[in-house]
Amino acid sequence: MNFKYDNNNKYHRLGKNILVVLASLIIFVELWWFIAELIDSRVLPTPPETFAALKDFLANGYLNISAWDYISSSLVLFLKGFLLAFVVAVPLGLVLGFSKTLNTFVTPIVEVLRPIAPMAWAPIFIYGISYGTGPILVVFIGIFFPLLTNIIFGVKKIDPTLVDAARTLGANKMQVFTKVMAPSSIPYVMNGIKVGLGVGWMCIVAAEMYSPVAIGVGYCISNMCMSGLWDSTFAILIIIAILGILTTSLSEYLQKYISKRMGVE
Amino acid sequence: MDENTTCTGNECVQEGESFIRIDNLSKTYQKDEKVTVAIEDFDLDIKKGELISIVGPSGCGKTTILRMIAGLLEPTSGSISIAGRPCSGPGPDRGMVFQDFALLPWRSVRRNVELGLEIAGMPKEERKARAEKYLEIVGLQDFADSSINELSGGMKQRVGIARALVNNPDVILMDEPFGALDAQTRNIMQAGLVRILEKTDQTIIFITHSVDEAVFLSDRIVILTKRPAKIKEIVEIPWPRPRDRASPEFTALRKRILEELEKENVLQ
Repeated sequence: MNFKYDNNNKYHRLGKNILVVLASLIIFVELWWFIAELIDSRVLPTPPETFAALKDFLANGYLNISAWDYISSSLVLFLKGFLLAFVVAVPLGLVLGFSKTLNTFVTPIVEVLRPIAPMAWAPIFIYGISYGTGPILVVFIGIFFPLLTNIIFGVKKIDPTLVDAARTLGANKMQVFTKVMAPSSIPYVMNGIKVGLGVGWMCIVAAEMYSPVAIGVGYCISNMCMSGLWDSTFAILIIIAILGILTTSLSEYLQKYISKRMGVE
Repeated sequence: MDENTTCTGNECVQEGESFIRIDNLSKTYQKDEKVTVAIEDFDLDIKKGELISIVGPSGCGKTTILRMIAGLLEPTSGSISIAGRPCSGPGPDRGMVFQDFALLPWRSVRRNVELGLEIAGMPKEERKARAEKYLEIVGLQDFADSSINELSGGMKQRVGIARALVNNPDVILMDEPFGALDAQTRNIMQAGLVRILEKTDQTIIFITHSVDEAVFLSDRIVILTKRPAKIKEIVEIPWPRPRDRASPEFTALRKRILEELEKENVLQ
């Protein structure tokens, strides 16, 4: 009886939520349209103009390059930055969480570098290092710090009685690390990935803007703006937003799934 | 060599002799200028196969004693030896059962029980068979592949007990193992522990708040004073198990120990 009631209530709430989200989106588009009608259409195109430009971009591409080529170029860049951040941050975070001395040594360095906006690194990495790897490093910086701090936090939050339990079963330091600390920090790694992907995706446009060889969505934006193609520029913004939503939803789903599988919701 | 002799390393102990020897154990904490004595001159000899309960007023340092025996906490002075071999640092010869179970939630029931064997480097098939044997002893053979979160509190602690038993330790240290369980489950678990004792002849040091539990289970009950904790009295209970809680001698002994503890109550 109770179960049925709860279930009905759940569906009822879900339906209500969908309605509220739809209302929010409709009001957003309406508001955008209203403001666009008021001001110069070169600065802010109306929704129909933008969606027409989006359709055109997806069908015909831009400057003889297909839409998919731009999008995949950005995604590959993003993925490379992410992988680099993952490979560096995960072992480093685990070790820093584990060793107090190392943590004390590295924390000042991290705290000095962390507040610097990833975008501030863009010209330095791109002009200073290379057009090709520079943008990857910008994305790397964006993802690296949230990932690292989450992992360190996760290792520190480990239930000390789990460590005691392993030690009384004869585990040495290394075994405590592999059997208890590493697995129990996985949910925090996932949370770090979730936050990191969000920040990293924000860096992608800036990362591409400075590099003449990164031909992705960031390139489209800066080029379209300079040629006065405001409706196309806004179309690209929509693509960036949708891809951003997809990446965060995917990582959020993965995080929940893994936490559930590991029994640590 | 007869079967009542237990050997660890190159030392052998005859049944009935002192198997675990705790000598002059004390623990003091120093914070700035202030020195707090938690445990003072704790001496105890434990025979092989004995179940010793430690009871005392809340906050008197029962857990501190157990953690020192486990090697998780360094004593300020004194020594602990098992079968003549001194203990320092934690080791698989002293299993521990925790009040809040301390199971790894990402592992299945069986893989939790296997943990100690895995740490010791036992081959996969062998440890699987061994874990299943001990799951049967605690009555969880049908839950080997369940996840920890699917289990009730009582079942979780049975996994905790199996995990300690599977290593075949010299002693199992139980830190208020049934303290997180409801009264009914508690009684079931106590009866279950009595059955396990019949099957394994395991030496156990058991910490509890419940005098009833101590009288039901123990061969001897160590009553501690309030801080700094010293041994106030050791009560021998020669009755066979399982014991009848309703019997007059059971209630009388429980009452007497409760009165002893009452005198130590810090609130008075």
